[in-house]
Amino acid sequence: MFRDTTFSDLNRSDAADEARTEFVVDEDAFRGFYERTSRGLWAYLVRITGDRELADDLLQETYYRFLRAAATHESEAHRRNSVYLIAGNLARDARRRSLARIPAIPAGEEIEQVSSASPAGSPEGRADLNRAMSALQPRERAMLWLAYAEGASHEEIAGALGIRRGSLKTLLYRTRRKMAALLGGRRP
Amino acid sequence: MKRVECEFEAEVLDAVFQGRWPEQAGEPLRAHAAQCEICRDVAAVAGAISESREALVAEAALPDASRVWRRSQLRARQEAVQAAGRPITAAQVIAFACAMGLLGAVFGATSTWFQGALGRMASFEAGAMLASASKLLMEHGAFVLSLVAAVFLVPAVFYVALGRE
Ligand SMILES: [Zn+2]
Repeated sequence: MFRDTTFSDLNRSDAADEARTEFVVDEDAFRGFYERTSRGLWAYLVRITGDRELADDLLQETYYRFLRAAATHESEAHRRNSVYLIAGNLARDARRRSLARIPAIPAGEEIEQVSSASPAGSPEGRADLNRAMSALQPRERAMLWLAYAEGASHEEIAGALGIRRGSLKTLLYRTRRKMAALLGGRRP
Repeated sequence: MKRVECEFEAEVLDAVFQGRWPEQAGEPLRAHAAQCEICRDVAAVAGAISESREALVAEAALPDASRVWRRSQLRARQEAVQAAGRPITAAQVIAFACAMGLLGAVFGATSTWFQGALGRMASFEAGAMLASASKLLMEHGAFVLSLVAAVFLVPAVFYVALGRE
């Protein structure tokens, strides 16, 4: 389960049959959900796309599609999985569409600039992370981010990235090894 | 088979997420991680990524929820209107084609002139064709005029309607 999962069940399946412009989630529930998830989701989008402006656009698109989908979710965790899945797919589509415009593996300068302006953590460590992340494939970045920034379960990661659950452990192990090597064993 | 998991990695991850790693994680866990490649990687990678998340989350400048909600509603309405327009246009085209087909069938079945003309067409007598055409205009003038109007006017109307989309 993702970190900070605190949500009461707001399932409203009967509302799904209403007019198409009516969303299944009501405004108050959406506001709460957005406030709990949007910052983390934006960070995820920034990391997997390497582009803050694109992350801004994809964030809004993600919530729009989430609302439009008229899907009912059993819990906050399901809703959260759903937006991460939508966001991941949008990022992948955007990457395919604009391979000519955006480098497939972003150099991370923009992220670096952003991070070095931030007071949290050591600038040296963040620059290392940016370089290391840039050297990974988008799917690898997403996998590590979901696991170690969001604390997602193996099942959730597999679902969000369209990976067979049986392969995930090995893939995660390999990607983590690669990342640790890229970080240069600087941390204990 | 190569070991890809460790029974202590969840504990290490919790310590990282709770900011207890490494100082407040406890000596046994630290000692384990010191000689376990998996837990060492988990601590290093989760530590760096977690820190990066904190930094990004702290500086995220996002539109507020009400604005995202309002924009989504507006867009959903616009898309619903567009989506509603399309099937009606398609239905109209199909209905028109059906009506024309039906009209032709009724005309063909009921008009003695039409059946006679079909028979004469086989023998291809141009003079007789011309004569029977003027006979048709006299007998079914209004019908022929409305048929011509339908054939030319309806596609023109559709052209204008589709062109507006
Ligand atoms: Zn271990």
